[in-house]
Amino acid sequence: MVSNGDEGAGADGSTVDDGIVDRWTALDRGWQALALGLGIVAAHLVGQAL
Amino acid sequence: MTGVAEALRAYLPGLALLAGGALAATLVAGAVPGVQPLVVAVAIGVGVGNAVGIPEIAEPGVGVDKLFLETGIVLLGAAVAVEEYLAAGPTVLGLVVAFVAGGLLFAEVVARGLFRIGSPTSSLLAAGASVCGVSAVVAIGRVLDARGAAITFAAATVLLFDAVTLVAFPLAGEWLGLTGRQFGVWAGVSMFSTGPVAAAGFAHSPEAGQWATVTKLARNSLLGGVAVAYSLAYTARSAAEPGVRRLWAEFPKFLLGFLIVATVANSGLLSPAALASIGRVSDALFALAFVGLGLSIRVDDMRAVGAAPVGAVLVHLLVVSAVALAAVRWFL
Repeated sequence: MVSNGDEGAGADGSTVDDGIVDRWTALDRGWQALALGLGIVAAHLVGQAL
Repeated sequence: MTGVAEALRAYLPGLALLAGGALAATLVAGAVPGVQPLVVAVAIGVGVGNAVGIPEIAEPGVGVDKLFLETGIVLLGAAVAVEEYLAAGPTVLGLVVAFVAGGLLFAEVVARGLFRIGSPTSSLLAAGASVCGVSAVVAIGRVLDARGAAITFAAATVLLFDAVTLVAFPLAGEWLGLTGRQFGVWAGVSMFSTGPVAAAGFAHSPEAGQWATVTKLARNSLLGGVAVAYSLAYTARSAAEPGVRRLWAEFPKFLLGFLIVATVANSGLLSPAALASIGRVSDALFALAFVGLGLSIRVDDMRAVGAAPVGAVLVHLLVVSAVALAAVRWFL
């Protein structure tokens, strides 16, 4: 799961995914909860606008 | 398989365990009138955790329970009526500051004077009992450079009281005939860890659950200040660390999310249907979190807790909760 600079971007985009996973796991749990919560509220705002 | 999918795969067994428990709790509560699903969720977790244990493969997923709890709290912001909370805010904030400061001093005096518990264990117990349970024990332990054994000892004591108060407070609240607001604030200033406070509040009523959570959030937000005070008092290694950085490091960031969601919800941007939907997501996250909370309560671990810390924390809890009870009856 740890990203490695020597890896090229795989055909399945796994290096990009690894970067996302690493960034997410490096976040403080409070920030993760804040991001998830606001994401859910934003999804509801978008949903009612459509 | 991509990185995200691979990372998620490790969490699936534990998430399935939490989801199974939450689903069972919902079904049981639907079948038995008057039973709160969140209380059943904790009970199922305690039963499974102590009878079977958590399979090793499920541990990563089960460990996500605190993220679910904090996300559920962020979304709980959509359910609060800001005007009502602003009206009672100064009173509740005053109670929180008074009980955290007074509770810390009282716990230190009781632990050191009555029970001859040395520092830093006395301070770890005081922080755990007065601010926010195990997370305060760990944070203050880090500030004071406490040994791992002292932190484990204090955390186990706090967990024991979390389990006992989770059952005792809702029963006492019912017996005392407290309103939802009175019970929520009482539990919010008296009990220890955030999960049990929210669970006890919702066991009483949804209104009590909201007040308990909001009051507890106010208490949690003081952890940074308490950490700075302890680092100055002990002139420990972190004395060199800037106070503002310590304040921010210990500040519960999800509290900002709760405030943002409360502001958005009360601005009228969200339709009633969207608010109801967010409420259902919040309830589901709480159910998952409370199954995890139950799974973390181990009867065997609690037998290892010593008599002196139990005595000190018990005296603290009885005195603080009695004074807090009088205060909420008087002010709210």
